[in-house]
Amino acid sequence: MEPWVIATGLIFLYILVTLVLGFVANRRLTIDLDDFFLYGRKAGFGVLYLTVVATYHSAFAFLGSSGFFYTHGIGFWDAGTWTILVGAFSYVIGTRIWALGKKFGYVTPADLLADFYESEAVRVVVALVSVLFTILYIQAQAQGLGYIISVASGERIPYAVGTFILLVVAAIYLAAGGLRAVYWTDVVQGVWMYVAIWVGALVLAFELFGGPFELWRRVAVERPDLLTLPGPKGFFTPGMWFGMMISLCGVLFMPQMMLRYYTAASDRTIRWLGATTPIYLMTLYIPTALIGLGGALVLPELAIPDQIFPELLFRYAPPWLTGIILAGAVAAAMSTLDSILHANMTVLTRDIYQRYVRPEASPAHYVRVGRFVVLGLLVIGYVLAIQTFEALVVLVSLSGSGALQLAPSVVNVCFPSKLLLTRVGVLAGIGAGFACLFWTLVIKPHPFGVHGAVWSLALNWMVAAAVSRFTKPPSADTVWRIHGEMERFVYGTRRSPSDAS
Amino acid sequence: MILGIVDRRDYPRFASHFVPRTTTGRRGLLLFLIFFALAEPPVLLLANRIEPFVLGMPFLYTYLLAIYVALIAVLLWIHHRDV
Repeated sequence: MEPWVIATGLIFLYILVTLVLGFVANRRLTIDLDDFFLYGRKAGFGVLYLTVVATYHSAFAFLGSSGFFYTHGIGFWDAGTWTILVGAFSYVIGTRIWALGKKFGYVTPADLLADFYESEAVRVVVALVSVLFTILYIQAQAQGLGYIISVASGERIPYAVGTFILLVVAAIYLAAGGLRAVYWTDVVQGVWMYVAIWVGALVLAFELFGGPFELWRRVAVERPDLLTLPGPKGFFTPGMWFGMMISLCGVLFMPQMMLRYYTAASDRTIRWLGATTPIYLMTLYIPTALIGLGGALVLPELAIPDQIFPELLFRYAPPWLTGIILAGAVAAAMSTLDSILHANMTVLTRDIYQRYVRPEASPAHYVRVGRFVVLGLLVIGYVLAIQTFEALVVLVSLSGSGALQLAPSVVNVCFPSKLLLTRVGVLAGIGAGFACLFWTLVIKPHPFGVHGAVWSLALNWMVAAAVSRFTKPPSADTVWRIHGEMERFVYGTRRSPSDAS
Repeated sequence: MILGIVDRRDYPRFASHFVPRTTTGRRGLLLFLIFFALAEPPVLLLANRIEPFVLGMPFLYTYLLAIYVALIAVLLWIHHRDV
């Protein structure tokens, strides 16, 4: 049997497994919005752990990071810092979001922010920001899926067709089983992608270099420019090192991650999650470094660096192993894609349709609407994926920087302090942040060698704080209710304003 | 409003949540920040070299790996102490 048949066949076998899981989840589904959108708020540590890590790590981790190591060298190991930070933020912010969601019945990020800032404008802006920037992420995943299946089939299945097939599969199991289907498939995908990338990297390292340590030696001798900062193309300046980490942290504020905090069974689940997710997230970049740096020696002239891993597999690994590993790459992309589709479905159904179009319809109606929303997102994601062709990391970085603009407003809700932002301040900050982001990523990329995410976040925060000084804050009752709940949740006290310092 | 600034005297004011209130919490935060600073410029630039190889890997790579492991250990310690 020809290698491409084995590789493609194994990918389709994997797809079949995910579809079966989706339909099994459908049989457990109750027509209840909490169940369809939030897994009934009862996700335990095991399932939540694997869905969170599988959602964080995507086509970007599987293909894009290897491509980045290939092009820019060891500087991409900076991503390890990001993985630690999201764990720490999950520990301190995730638990607070969970507590507020449980107490006040929030379903989406906009629920939380609109309640605190007492503003429908905040709700709509947050919903639109959430959707807009995660659609870029859908595009990145869809492109990754297209790459993989196109390479696996030796370009017998064109990029556009492969993208379409895999987008449809993700949409089918999501529409069938809701968040339960996403979580169950993510469990399989999270394990599969981790094992696949490690096995693939080690097989290639031994096959091509005699082992990982010899690989490092060869890189040091033949391409020393890959092993120090700022890398062969001078990309990883100190400002970019710091800024890229900040930019990638924006994923934390994307709706698919914030929704996951609402779904946890308890705050202890999220604390444990925050302390342990960096282990999975960080160690996944060890094999991608081996692939990218080793690939730079073996295939130095590759036109699309993101394809280094599949290209190496096809040339130097047995077909059955290539198929299993590429199925892992599909798992990486699909686990993120389905989570984003689900999050956008929830945001658009809950924050827009339920709020402004049909407020009093039945849960079954909203579930049906959610399924149609998935269909619409599918079409948009597909069109974006085949129209543009940017490097995966750049796309993810842009979407992360955009979602990061929600950070000041979320942090101000979760962390009582002397600074109290207002709705006008928050909206002004987001507006200024986006204007700055456009300037520092598109018009004049990364001024003074500092990533645009840093400039935009700093300006956002300063404008929000300054405008909030002169505009009407949320009512004292609301601040008392929400910040008082934070005080009670974190410190077990609910002191009266008079004895607070 | 007084002189263009909204009067917030009637608002509840809580002590800042940005600084932990327990000794363990403050130690954990300090440790985390110290290790984190070691992985960022300008300290990082002192480790920006290939030799000597440590544990079979280039110096910068191993240096960062050690810091990441330390940061994870801090998170696990904070969780263990139930902060």
